[in-house]
Amino acid sequence: MSLHRYELGFLLIILNIYSLGLIDAVNVTASDSAANPLQAPSYQSHSSSAVYKPAVDSSYSINLLSSFPEDVEISEYCSEMLRLFGQRYVAYVNCLIPAARPVRVCQNCSPEYKSLSDVFLNISSDQMGPGNVSCRDSILRSDRLMLVFLLYGNLATIWEKSNCKQCVTTDLKGPNNDTLYYLTLLNQTITCFEKYKEGNHTELCKSCILPYKDLNDMYSGMEKNSTLCIDLEDSMNMTRKLWSKNFGCSYPHGETIPVIAVSSFMLFLPIIFYLSSFLHSEQKKRKLIHPKRAKSHNSLMNIQDKQS
Amino acid sequence: MANITKKVSWSSRGDESGAAGEETPLLNGSEQSRPLRQMSSGSTVFQIGRLSTVDLDEEITTEEQDSARGRPKEIPHNEKLLSLKFESLDYDNIENQLFLEEERRMSFVAFRCLEISRWVICGLIGFLTGLIACFIDIAVEQLAGLKYKLIKENIVKFTEAGGLSISLLLWVALNSFCVMWGSIIVAFIEPIAAGSGIPQIKCFLNGVKVPRVVRLKTLVVKVVGVIFSVVGGLAVGKEGPMIHSGAVLAAGVSQGRSTSLKKDFKIFEYFRRDTEKRDFVSAGAAAGVSAAFGAPVAGGVLFSLEEGASFWNQMLTWRIFFASMISTFTLNFFLSIYHNKPGELSNPGLINFGRFESEAMEYNLYEIPLFIAMGAIGGGLGAFFNFLNYWLTIFRIRYVHRPCLQVMEAMLVAAVTATVAFIMIYFSTDCQPLGPDHTEEYPLQLFCADGEYNSMATAFFNTPERSVRSLFHNPTGTYNSLTLGLFTLTYFFLACWTYGLAVSAGVFIPSLLIGAAWGRLCGILLASTTSTVMWADPGKYALIGAAAQLGGIVRMTLSLTVIMVEATGNVTYGLPIMLVLMTAKIVGDYFQEGLYDLHIKLGSVPFLHWEAPATSHWLTAREVMSSPVTCLNRIEKVGTIVDTLSNTSTNHNGFPVVVQVSGDDEVLFDLATDKNAWCKILHSCI
Repeated sequence: MSLHRYELGFLLIILNIYSLGLIDAVNVTASDSAANPLQAPSYQSHSSSAVYKPAVDSSYSINLLSSFPEDVEISEYCSEMLRLFGQRYVAYVNCLIPAARPVRVCQNCSPEYKSLSDVFLNISSDQMGPGNVSCRDSILRSDRLMLVFLLYGNLATIWEKSNCKQCVTTDLKGPNNDTLYYLTLLNQTITCFEKYKEGNHTELCKSCILPYKDLNDMYSGMEKNSTLCIDLEDSMNMTRKLWSKNFGCSYPHGETIPVIAVSSFMLFLPIIFYLSSFLHSEQKKRKLIHPKRAKSHNSLMNIQDKQS
Repeated sequence: MANITKKVSWSSRGDESGAAGEETPLLNGSEQSRPLRQMSSGSTVFQIGRLSTVDLDEEITTEEQDSARGRPKEIPHNEKLLSLKFESLDYDNIENQLFLEEERRMSFVAFRCLEISRWVICGLIGFLTGLIACFIDIAVEQLAGLKYKLIKENIVKFTEAGGLSISLLLWVALNSFCVMWGSIIVAFIEPIAAGSGIPQIKCFLNGVKVPRVVRLKTLVVKVVGVIFSVVGGLAVGKEGPMIHSGAVLAAGVSQGRSTSLKKDFKIFEYFRRDTEKRDFVSAGAAAGVSAAFGAPVAGGVLFSLEEGASFWNQMLTWRIFFASMISTFTLNFFLSIYHNKPGELSNPGLINFGRFESEAMEYNLYEIPLFIAMGAIGGGLGAFFNFLNYWLTIFRIRYVHRPCLQVMEAMLVAAVTATVAFIMIYFSTDCQPLGPDHTEEYPLQLFCADGEYNSMATAFFNTPERSVRSLFHNPTGTYNSLTLGLFTLTYFFLACWTYGLAVSAGVFIPSLLIGAAWGRLCGILLASTTSTVMWADPGKYALIGAAAQLGGIVRMTLSLTVIMVEATGNVTYGLPIMLVLMTAKIVGDYFQEGLYDLHIKLGSVPFLHWEAPATSHWLTAREVMSSPVTCLNRIEKVGTIVDTLSNTSTNHNGFPVVVQVSGDDEVLFDLATDKNAWCKILHSCI
């Protein structure tokens, strides 16, 4: 009986050695291919159970991910943050794309951006989370790609370029008062356009000039204060295009005749001036003085002088 | 062989044949001489020796006629005359007893101090030139900004309501008002401050004492005048006046006294000599160039080398370079303070071409023949410009010589400039959307759609420097061909008309602007003809065109190349610019001289070129000397000396002192030079 026990134990030991050998092999290859000891976190498993199925390739590579021991994986807390970041990222982008044309990103998507930036702030803060770990290093700075950092950076640049900060409230909940007022004016103008669109355009030009002018003045004021975001710029651009190009309501060319008259008069003046100075002024003459030179005789003598 | 020299028939004045030492007939008041003295206050000119081969008979006849008339001929002004009022600077030291004693007294330490003080003066010159450049720049910016703001508001108001002719009148009135003041101070207070100033400085550095060119009064008139000219919207630049101002500062600072203010600060007395003064004026001109263009190497060494100093040595080079560096650094520093970015040294010169980035602006080998062709075009256009300006200047000298007429002419030019600009903007239908970076300070919408701006206005409704910058750097598509073509044409004639007025104004920037416009036009046309090959930015062609046009007009090669390279901050363009400038010079010289040389000739200045005229090497001294020689005895009556000095027909600066040894022999005893000193002594005696 003890022999069977020993046989079983011996078999188990042999099996363990075999599996350990495999793990070591896997470990060795993994550490060869990796620069850092810490690899990409495994999404699937939190436990580091060894799986020995080396034959299949795809599963081999998947198994590579989940084959690290506990201490090189990211903590649970950080993985949770990462998952949350992913969710909010997707939500923000899902909000942005429908608001791309006509541009309404500032009005619609500011809350989503706020929640996303909160999560990122949390991830990148210096504070230690529970379990005394810093998520910043493990998530953001562990590899060459720095994927999370890059993705957030792109979105932050888009936010900066769109200048949304100017037309939303400080807590990024929604548009501020100026923006709302502008949007009201815009609404008025568009309704006016809708009303008169079908008929004669001159009718439209006459009736809608007031709301359009108010809108324009408000926009110019905001431009001077630099409180413009991309939403307002784009809407103003579209309105102006409608006004000038589609409806043709720009300024009339005014009176050309007085301009031509005044300019021809101005252009004629120099001719008169030069003619009168030519005819009436005394021409400035120069008095010529001949120097006294030696009375050398004609050139023949000079040549003779030289030859002699 | 003898075709260039034609012997002229000498008018004999029988009274002048008296030998030296006798009572000069002048004092007896022979009839012929009095009219001479009366006319000495006017402008008397010599006809430069045109010797002709004539028979003896003809000579006699002419002599008789001349003596019968007894009065010099009067001819209308032309370029072949030389004026008697110019004297030369005295580069020789008067080595008399006093001088030698003073030299003996100076110790080694004193000489060292002198050397150090030369460096100090050069630094001071650079510093003050930079300050003046800063002042001009700030004043122009403020005043021009004010003017454009006013006009723009007026135009905006009247575009809707109609009545744009009122805007036109306002623009004309503002222009004329500014130019009127600029022209009044030049025409009435100091006429020598008219024009660019470079011809006068060239003459001064060549050794001709152009009167009043380096006075404090000239400086003030020049600086204030150039501010008014630029603000008045004339087609002018401020670079030439900057060079003149630098030279005046140098002359004033180095002498330690001011003739206009009649104050003597009793310093730098050792340098009150024409030799030293000339060196410092070179340094001043170099500092002026460097402040104007932000190009210390080009300004410091090359401009003075090419245009100025007839005597060059190594220490002078170093001191001039020092002055230029200090000048551009001072300007940079103070402008950065003015723009509220102290320490950010990004404005090295008055004109800022902006930086050309290397990647966007590379040029290829197949573009070099194109550049050379553009250089040839620039040379041809430049020769045409000079030709028109030459006849215009002759007309002005002959007929528009009274100061009030000159002021009126300047005002008319300003009015017409405003009118032409307004008409071009009014009738232009080229509208472009304005980018977000707002490179235009005063965009004019006029009749364009909302959100778009008139692109003709970006060329005309600006100071010329900003227009040049926008032509160099604006992205493709900002200007269309018709706009550029019309602009080139009108601006060419405006600039040609403007140069030579009685205002202080330069010609660098207008020529750069003309060249940039047609250069950019070439670039656009090239890009449109070949749609498959990727041509780069038309801004590159604008740069080449500008260099070609400027070279065609002023014909400076070496210094201009380096100025352009330094001003654009890109050495890559050195080779094309050099080729272009050489081509322009060769083509232009075939037709006509450079603009500054033409004006020197028209000013009747006896300018000495590097070499004697061709085929004149066989002329002997006897043929160009006066005869009989006016000499003086060792002991001479004061009256004789006074008459000799005041005789305008023998306007010499030095006289031989002879001693009668025996009978008729005369031995040269000494040379009495420095007429000025004599005049002063005699004034105090009489």
